Amino acid sequence: MPPQVQQFVDTLNAALPLEGYLVIGAIMFAIGAWGALIRRNAVVVFMCIELMINAVNLSLVAFADYLPDAGGFGVGYAVLVIAVAAAEVAVGLAIVLAVYRSRKTVNVDEVNLLKG
Amino acid sequence: MFTAQTFVGLSPEIVAFLFSMVVLMVGVFVPNARGLVAGIAAFGAVATFVTAAVLLLSGFGGEFLGNAYVVDAFALYFKLIVAFSAFFAILAAIRWSGRTGDSPEYLTLILSVAVGAMLLVSMRDLFGLFVAIELATIPSYALVAFDRSRRESPEGGMKYLLTGVMASSILLYGIVLIYGASGSANLADVAETFTGSLSPVALMGLVLLISGFAFKLSAAPFHFWTPDAYQGAPTSAAAFLSVAPKAATFAILLRVLLEGMPDAAPTWTAVMAFLAVLTMFVGNLFALRQRNVRRMLAYSSVAHSGYILGAFAALRGAGVDTAVQAVLIYMAAYAVMNLGAFFVIDLVGEDGKSFNGLFKSRPGVAVCMGIFMAALVGIPPLSGFWGKAWVIFAGVEAASAATYIVVGALVINSVLSVPYYFGIIRNMFFEDPVTGDEGPKGTGLVLFSVYALAVATVVFGFFLGPLSALAERSGLL
Repeated sequence: MPPQVQQFVDTLNAALPLEGYLVIGAIMFAIGAWGALIRRNAVVVFMCIELMINAVNLSLVAFADYLPDAGGFGVGYAVLVIAVAAAEVAVGLAIVLAVYRSRKTVNVDEVNLLKG
Repeated sequence: MFTAQTFVGLSPEIVAFLFSMVVLMVGVFVPNARGLVAGIAAFGAVATFVTAAVLLLSGFGGEFLGNAYVVDAFALYFKLIVAFSAFFAILAAIRWSGRTGDSPEYLTLILSVAVGAMLLVSMRDLFGLFVAIELATIPSYALVAFDRSRRESPEGGMKYLLTGVMASSILLYGIVLIYGASGSANLADVAETFTGSLSPVALMGLVLLISGFAFKLSAAPFHFWTPDAYQGAPTSAAAFLSVAPKAATFAILLRVLLEGMPDAAPTWTAVMAFLAVLTMFVGNLFALRQRNVRRMLAYSSVAHSGYILGAFAALRGAGVDTAVQAVLIYMAAYAVMNLGAFFVIDLVGEDGKSFNGLFKSRPGVAVCMGIFMAALVGIPPLSGFWGKAWVIFAGVEAASAATYIVVGALVINSVLSVPYYFGIIRNMFFEDPVTGDEGPKGTGLVLFSVYALAVATVVFGFFLGPLSALAERSGLL
């Protein structure tokens, strides 16, 4: 194997730096937040918020793996977060469905009885 | 490690949880059990209150679940407030929830929120905090959207849901960054990281954490969900959500800041002072424009969040003791007067005009509403006055420029809030009744709650001694 290729393989095998995961997590979070602010369909807004939560979870897993002595309970926290997010989806979609039943739309701009 | 003591420490939550399950199951298996489930739920709230009171009076305390869960006088005190407001919310819900035939589910949701709020005030672990805060919030989305007979209710629920879930993700990001920066989610370990100068990750974590909390506390500029949610929600749910989860969230914020990052106090007291002043002004200025009384009370609850945040700005130097006392006293004072005001809306109606001439048609209710409004303004010797007075004492004792500004803003805002609270009193006492009114609404239970809370608001001053003694032996000082 030529030395350049060997070097490339070594790079691939080396552990990624923590910062890489954190930056990707931050970018995912920003995309989710942006989408949640500009999209008008409640279901899509909800998906964007789920993206935000998963971005945070990515950072959490990365921290748990890189911290000395795995930061105590470590990855177990991530499982808790996934369970909480699932509960939010269950209640959230039920509420969006209730809105659709009474209004025949889930566009957040058209659902505007309450204001002031 | 679980020991028998763990179960004793968790007993208020266990009692409330068991009762919520019993209510749900009775609703499933016993047909037409409206009165039965309501009785069980109300009894469950009383049992929870008694359990917490017994723990408090016996001086029980300790740390459980690997230092993640703490039982101290401070936590038990807030559990009492939560159980107290849950009891009155259940009483007020009995009449409403019967109409659609879903009363077991509705009462179960109220008790679930109570379980989450009671767990929350004891948490010393950031992820435990997150799970508890979600346990208190997720059922409250369902509570707000519960009334299928009004189109506003699902709409308010959806708006509350979308902003609430987004706030949760921001709060979680803050927690994760703090966890990453300090290597542990336990507040005792976090305190070692948050010393003099903060690393960028820790600082960003703190900012996101406080933003997430500000959402949950409806502090400006994150308050916009509050009026929609409270206007859409059934009245009993709005009353309960404006008191119990909010009290618990203030309590845990106090615990996180004092136990988790005491050395970073100069940073976060400045943020709190800014939030407090902004929240007071936004709440009061928007409340002035409202015609719908429920919406006005929602903005008034935003303003009161601002007053309580004012106590947080004084959490440094000589002001710490008084500031903690101020939060404890203000929360209790706010619980009695705000629950009462919402229940009067349940009796009378949410349009400002429905209060016209109330003194002539129903003098008892009118006098009670007058007491609640005067208490919310802060007229001595009613409950709200003592809360505000303690915030001012704390600000003066802390004696920094920021706390003087907060105290000044509090006084200005108390004056600003007079027109909209006294507008209702004027309508009740000096206007003529609207003709064609459908007559008195409500059952004896709501009426009983209103009278009981009015009495509590009036005699609140007598409880100040025990309350401040309690604050002195709370675990935070």
